[in-house]
Amino acid sequence: MAASSAVVAILASIWLCSSIAADASGSSSETTMHTNNWAVLVCTSRFWFNYRHMANTLSLYRTVKRLGIPDERIILMLADDMACNSRNKYPAQVFNNENHWLNLYGDNVEVDYRGYEVTVENFLRVLTGRHESAVPRSKRLLSDEGSHILLYMTGHGGDEFLKFQDSEELQSHDLADAVKQMKEKHRFKELLIMVDTCQAATLFNQLHSPGVLAIASSMKGENSYSHHLDSDVGVSVVDRFTFYTLAFFERLNMYDNASLSRLFNSYDPNLLMSNAYYRTDLYQRNLQEVPVTNFFGSVMETVHTDSAYRAFPQKNTPRETRIRTGKTAEDDSRRSILTDMTKAECPFTRIVSSLESKMETVGNLDSLVNYGLVMILPVLVVSVWLST
Amino acid sequence: MAKVEKKEVAAATPPWKPKPRPIVRLGIVLISHSLLVSVVCCTAGIVALFLLPMLAKNTYISENALMPGSASSMLSNHDISEAERLAKDLTSLNSGAADAGIERRRVLAKYLSDLGVEVGYHKFQSHQNQFHPLHFFSSPDSGLSQENGSCSSYGINVVGIIRAPQADGKEAIVLVTPFNFRKNSSSEALSISIGYAVFSLLSRVSWLAKDIIWLVADSQYGEYASVASWLRDYHIPVFSASSSHNADSCFEGNNINLLREESPGRTEISSGFRRAGTMAAALVLKVTDVKGQLEDTLSVYAEASNGQMPNLDLINVVNYLAVHRQGLRVKVEKFLSVLTWEWIWMLGDTLNFIGKVAGSLNPEWKFGISTPDYVEGTATLASSLYRQALGIPTGPHGAFRDFQVDAITLEISPKVVYTNQGRRNEFILRSARLIEGVVRSVNNLLEKFHQSFFLYLLTSPAKFVSVGVYMIGFALLVAPLPLVAASLYVDANKPEPSSQDPKQKLQINFKPWKWLSAAKQVFTVHAWGVFVSLLPYFISQIPNSTPAAHSIIWFSLSTFGLLVLYLITKSPSKPQKGKWENLKSVTISAVFIGLLLMSVVNFATAQIGALVLVPACLLAQPLKLDIRTASLKSFLRIATNVFISFVAFPPAGFFILKGVNEGFGNMDVGEFWTWLESLWAWNSATYIYIGMVHLPCWVLCLQILLHSC
Repeated sequence: MAASSAVVAILASIWLCSSIAADASGSSSETTMHTNNWAVLVCTSRFWFNYRHMANTLSLYRTVKRLGIPDERIILMLADDMACNSRNKYPAQVFNNENHWLNLYGDNVEVDYRGYEVTVENFLRVLTGRHESAVPRSKRLLSDEGSHILLYMTGHGGDEFLKFQDSEELQSHDLADAVKQMKEKHRFKELLIMVDTCQAATLFNQLHSPGVLAIASSMKGENSYSHHLDSDVGVSVVDRFTFYTLAFFERLNMYDNASLSRLFNSYDPNLLMSNAYYRTDLYQRNLQEVPVTNFFGSVMETVHTDSAYRAFPQKNTPRETRIRTGKTAEDDSRRSILTDMTKAECPFTRIVSSLESKMETVGNLDSLVNYGLVMILPVLVVSVWLST
Repeated sequence: MAKVEKKEVAAATPPWKPKPRPIVRLGIVLISHSLLVSVVCCTAGIVALFLLPMLAKNTYISENALMPGSASSMLSNHDISEAERLAKDLTSLNSGAADAGIERRRVLAKYLSDLGVEVGYHKFQSHQNQFHPLHFFSSPDSGLSQENGSCSSYGINVVGIIRAPQADGKEAIVLVTPFNFRKNSSSEALSISIGYAVFSLLSRVSWLAKDIIWLVADSQYGEYASVASWLRDYHIPVFSASSSHNADSCFEGNNINLLREESPGRTEISSGFRRAGTMAAALVLKVTDVKGQLEDTLSVYAEASNGQMPNLDLINVVNYLAVHRQGLRVKVEKFLSVLTWEWIWMLGDTLNFIGKVAGSLNPEWKFGISTPDYVEGTATLASSLYRQALGIPTGPHGAFRDFQVDAITLEISPKVVYTNQGRRNEFILRSARLIEGVVRSVNNLLEKFHQSFFLYLLTSPAKFVSVGVYMIGFALLVAPLPLVAASLYVDANKPEPSSQDPKQKLQINFKPWKWLSAAKQVFTVHAWGVFVSLLPYFISQIPNSTPAAHSIIWFSLSTFGLLVLYLITKSPSKPQKGKWENLKSVTISAVFIGLLLMSVVNFATAQIGALVLVPACLLAQPLKLDIRTASLKSFLRIATNVFISFVAFPPAGFFILKGVNEGFGNMDVGEFWTWLESLWAWNSATYIYIGMVHLPCWVLCLQILLHSC
């Protein structure tokens, strides 16, 4: 009888497991852990008089890098090259403050998309991961369902649009659509969108995907202003919203536990000359418990797992960080499902393993088979009797 | 079946008369009330013109990229002391010496090459402006013959070019300082000081995106000529060596072996023509001594040939920097005599009152303007309109406009002639900072000036009337012309009430061709106008004669021509009914077409012309008719007609205007000739307008007045 119950249990567990596998897509973001951080930083405007947008983006680039996101996980898009603009009094340097203490365009800035590469098309391709095959890995957002992504955009915006390159627009529904696709393709666990443009809040109107948190520099009908003018360079060098964001982060280091709600509350409408806007209805966690480094930094917990790569000989190395290098984003996500299933201990595997251990406890395998055959006889008799 | 029935029903009903479309009906209503319409429209047109100072908007910087005043000035006292050293070296040379001019050029070139910039000389031959009837709208002086100049009329410009260190050198900004190398003038030395201070600073900075060209224009043959010839050589390269060879031989003859001299400076002085990129903007800098000023002032001159204006943004940038950064008073030209007119002040008071009443009724209506503002605005507007209408550039910047380069002349005049070196340095510092600021702002430009207006009238340095507003007055003024022409035509070709038999009716069908004889008359008079406008070309060939003699010859030849034409074309047939109406109708149509065409070429001319021609044409009616009726109304009409036709005669109008502005004391018949000569010498379309539209229409109006009906 024990065996029959085991058979029933096997059948039940198969059903259960398949249902869980079907469910995994829906609940993966809740069940998966935050494992890695990405940042997409976009400056969408060209021309010398938009110097401040590039300075905004570069300052944020520096900040997230300082807080621990490595260069290969930052996609930096700069629509123009102010550092080499002939009008720049300080060639190959970009400053975000008139005191010129900090050159943002130092030696180790990796710009992934520059100049005319910064288009709406390329931006959407980066988000959704639908690249042509020739695009190198460094230009791709190789995030997975454990990723926290920071998406920062600055430029000239309006009601439900953001201007790219003086010739194109990204509309709010384009952004929402891209985010939806990312969600479907398990490209993020949580997404923080930060936009510093005029009427930035309107860009979030169409967002529906869960796990998205949005911050905007201004409400509908408001302008976002520049913070100050560098009369030496002759242009405004930073925008107010970004300036105060940076001021907040300058006081932090990698190990600080400042929460997102502290960041959100740090914006003073009088200083910004606009009202910062937060959209939290799609975000499940309590903002007071989420450290800013969840998005702006990359504080990694190292988790020991069995290696995903069977072929590798160093299978039994005691500790291994979970930084994977999948071939494509799709590969990546598929593999992540597998590993996540083992980690969450699917009932099927549990039952199979307990069965196996039980089998091993049974000493005489032949007698078990014999008993089984004997047990089949009454079943046969009953079934014959029933059929007649 | 049903269909067929319906058709039959439709056929059975009486034939449906198609109702004309609403626009046709509107036209018919307007034409039938043409008298009322024309009175209302003309009044409204003239009122609209006087309302323009009220409707003027404040200027604003339209182009984002300009960012004037966002960068702090980098000019230091060192630049100024260097510039002053140069000015001293230039003025200390003995002006009496024959080769002082050459020596000054050499000094200047040495200073420039010490800065490490490219230096070059540009030789040019001064041309007397000559009347080329076929060159009116062609490219400026493209067909000039270079052979017939004597060696004495050569001038030499000194050109310095700073190459932008990090840019591609496709664009350039031009600074021009007129300087007479042969004469010692303190104000010109001051302008060289300012120019050099800016130039030496710009040769050191790293933020240039456009090359800087400094043209020290040899102004001994006039400021315009030197700049224009340099621009011509800049834009129209000469590939044959003949002309330059000609110039070189001249220099050798005069022992001016300037170009082959060893250069002592950092860079070599080249003899070839040096070019930079396309010009983004040009600033002409002058310093003048004007007595009795309260503070340092900056006068802006912008009008180029045929009333073309530079982009308003350029004026805005200069105005903004001068007022808000350097504390200079900015002026644009105005008619001072307007300020003394009592009735303008009264009009200003009235408008002020109306504005206040409107403001008290509804605080939203803010079109009030204070009386002094209104009068100042009117004086400036009148001057702006006149300068544009004249079509003669108001300074060397006009030469740039011919090549579609935005340019203005900045005339800075110090409060007093500075004797104290400290005060003088401060004046140079402020002026040079202004120029530096403008250059830096224009340097930020990404494209040509295009954001702001090109068609505007200034009512003060910071206020303008755009084309959309000032066109309304003109449109109202000319709108009655086609209506009146149509209504006259309809009246003239009405079937006479007595002729009702079908035979007569058949003839009426041919009557529309009656206007052809009137058209023939109008055409011949216009042909005569062409003849009159071409005459000066031949008259000016007569050697050794005064302008007065020229005028008299011209006048008598024109009158003779008219008489001959009249005798040739005089029809022997008796005058018929409606003939003068037809003539007037066609005349009005011709005036309408002429004014519209002119408004495209030069709006200001058309506006002023319409003010005279429209009433003249609309009121014209044979004097005989009025004399016959002999009522008060007809007497008034006779008086107005005579007055208008007197004023509308171009010489009479010219002398009246001159008399009003300068007093009727010293009048010379030759002045009108000189004035017209300047018009055609500058290729002004106003000359063509006067000769081919205004004068024929005036003659036609006279014909209508003297018609024997």
